[in-house]
Amino acid sequence: MTRVLPAITGYIVTGFLLGPGVLGWLSEPMLEQSRVLAEFSLGLIVFDLGRRLDLQWARHDRWLLPMGIAESVLSFAAMFALLHFIGGIDTLEAAVASTVGVATAPAVVLLVTNELKAEGPVTRRMLWHVALNNVLATVGITLLLPFIEARAAGASWNPAARALWLMAGSFLLGLIAFHLMTLFARWLGKSPVPQFVLAVGMVIATVGAAQAARLSVLLALLVLGACARNLDRDHRLIDVDFGRAAQVFFVVLFVLTGATLRVDQFGAIAWIGLAFVIARSLGKMLALYTLAWPAHISARQASTLGLALTPIAGLAIGMTQPIYDVAPEFGARLAAIVVSGVAILHVLGPVATRYALVRAGEGEPGARD
Amino acid sequence: MRSSAQAKANPARATERLVAMLEFKSSAPLTLGVELELMLVNTRDYNLAPDADDLLRRATREAPGGELKPEITQSMVEINTSVHERYPELLAELHGTRDVIAGHARKMNVAIAGGGTHPFQKWSDRKIYPTERFLSVSEKYGFLAKQFTVFGQHVHIGCASADDAIYLNHALIPYLPHFIALAASSPFYQGVDTAFDSSRLSIVNAFPLSGTMPLVRSWQEFNRYYDRMLGLGIIASMKDFYWDIRPKPEYGTVEIRVCDTPLTVACAAQIAAFAQALARWLWETHTVEITPDLYLAHSHNRFQACRHGFAGTLVDAATGGTRTVGEDLRRVLDQLAPHARALGSDAAFVALRTTLEQGNHAGWLRNAFAETGTLTDVVRRQAALWAGT
Repeated sequence: MTRVLPAITGYIVTGFLLGPGVLGWLSEPMLEQSRVLAEFSLGLIVFDLGRRLDLQWARHDRWLLPMGIAESVLSFAAMFALLHFIGGIDTLEAAVASTVGVATAPAVVLLVTNELKAEGPVTRRMLWHVALNNVLATVGITLLLPFIEARAAGASWNPAARALWLMAGSFLLGLIAFHLMTLFARWLGKSPVPQFVLAVGMVIATVGAAQAARLSVLLALLVLGACARNLDRDHRLIDVDFGRAAQVFFVVLFVLTGATLRVDQFGAIAWIGLAFVIARSLGKMLALYTLAWPAHISARQASTLGLALTPIAGLAIGMTQPIYDVAPEFGARLAAIVVSGVAILHVLGPVATRYALVRAGEGEPGARD
Repeated sequence: MRSSAQAKANPARATERLVAMLEFKSSAPLTLGVELELMLVNTRDYNLAPDADDLLRRATREAPGGELKPEITQSMVEINTSVHERYPELLAELHGTRDVIAGHARKMNVAIAGGGTHPFQKWSDRKIYPTERFLSVSEKYGFLAKQFTVFGQHVHIGCASADDAIYLNHALIPYLPHFIALAASSPFYQGVDTAFDSSRLSIVNAFPLSGTMPLVRSWQEFNRYYDRMLGLGIIASMKDFYWDIRPKPEYGTVEIRVCDTPLTVACAAQIAAFAQALARWLWETHTVEITPDLYLAHSHNRFQACRHGFAGTLVDAATGGTRTVGEDLRRVLDQLAPHARALGSDAAFVALRTTLEQGNHAGWLRNAFAETGTLTDVVRRQAALWAGT
């Protein structure tokens, strides 16, 4: 089995079996209490993802950014067209659901990459696409959130002004966190252990500050990671590997993710959920195939890349959470659309990414030691 | 093994095969060619990146001369230059090839670097490049195949005849330490300072057919030796000899194989120019006697050059005297100056003297580590130096 299924699938199944959906050993209050742990794990992952957003690369390969944008835009368009024009879902709801759908689950791709010790052109491109589609989806949700809020509670704020504040504030927070981090790094030197503690500490501080100021946690962390990659001119920060030391947090994250699944989500998979998943993948594949030739990517690389981008998981739930917080009814309707798609991809996503990387010849089954 | 059985069954066919396989293709004397094995690294932590396939797919058609080839593991590529008569043309081609592949590497978000070893890669993480030959090498040598992720420069010198090649092969033996010290660029291996200037050659030593060519004095004698080895099933082709220097009959050259890949293509070309001038002098004077004495101190001298670079102590078996590699190199460079001038390699010799005065690339790498404190930063600088950025 370990030659086919990634470890993540095991964690999710374990969580599902132990959770309220089946055995109930992990109760609802326990899950609620553990949410902070899951958020912290996700924080580390999103920061790590930001570090993959190498803008120098985009400068040298002029097709990289257009391809990443096309992949996000086409998958958004496919999902939006399905939900709005075929499913008859309201514009704002369809837009929010499709924006959530643009992002590939960073936790899944990073963990599968670590598990397979995958490295190579497809893996590198996959992580770049995931970083970019997460930035675009996060920016999109950050911009749409005030409009949802305004619709739910009446317009106490100008939604456009609030959207702008969320964007600018989150960006600024990430930037400040980065400058603090390099300041500390200068003092700490380049030893791996102090730098690991520094990175983890900055991620926790940024999560806390973003929550306190009601800013976007995800956006602030992505900015922090991207700055660490692109603005650290003197190379004061070393590329801390969270893989091993933070493994336990990632296991917890996926067990908790599994525990949120319910049997009925699978039993009552609406056609819309399945169609949502298919439209999303078709949009991504179409963009990758169309631009493969000018971007000097082989057809095989394009198809494995498209397959590797399949997972939509933790972050989608992370993204819908703020919506639940500000507009519970809207959140519930959104969940009805997205959750069945997410449930399908919880099972299929990690398997697809694993299969794609092994097929690309960049990951070795059984490589993890 | 199959060919050995055939040889026993049919002696006439064996002779046919011998002639067919080891015909020494004559080439213009003193022509030059260089093979450079290079490392591919990612631009995140600067560990090795298994991107050889992708780089070859993108860049093969654009290389200005020579060819690009895969090597034993996926993180290596090899540049083979075309044949040149003079150093300036060789240097120009190497610069052109470097610019083409460095450009493609940037688009792939990887970098290319010189150096005889990658300072901190773990050999067990490597992936064998899936060609029939490399898979069979991996099968034959086990973990040595992955440990062979080291990077060397081979210099080819054109020879008019096979016997000229045999003479040159022997006559160059006393100068191999000079090549080793000039090119040494592998002080770090598997994350530690090995205290060697060239740790790469110690890895080559592990192969059973490493060392030097036996003391044959003619091409005919060499063929007899080769046929015996073939008949005994010890080798299948010339490629199985991992010698420090060997004749290359299909190219009509002698191939010097002791050099680490230097950190710059310019240095690689200078070393080739040194080999060319040395060959010209050795052939013109023709004074080297092929005796066992030639090899008596070779292992010691080779080790000294690997371990200490220019500061290594050379023993002269004929006179019993000693001097450092650096002192002897200075003498040899002076002696070869007229030949360098005749070959148009003056500029190369000026650069070689500078290297001798300022230190080789092993020293450069150690300085980079002292300044930055991490091997990741060392490789980052190494890659920038190679790309000329």
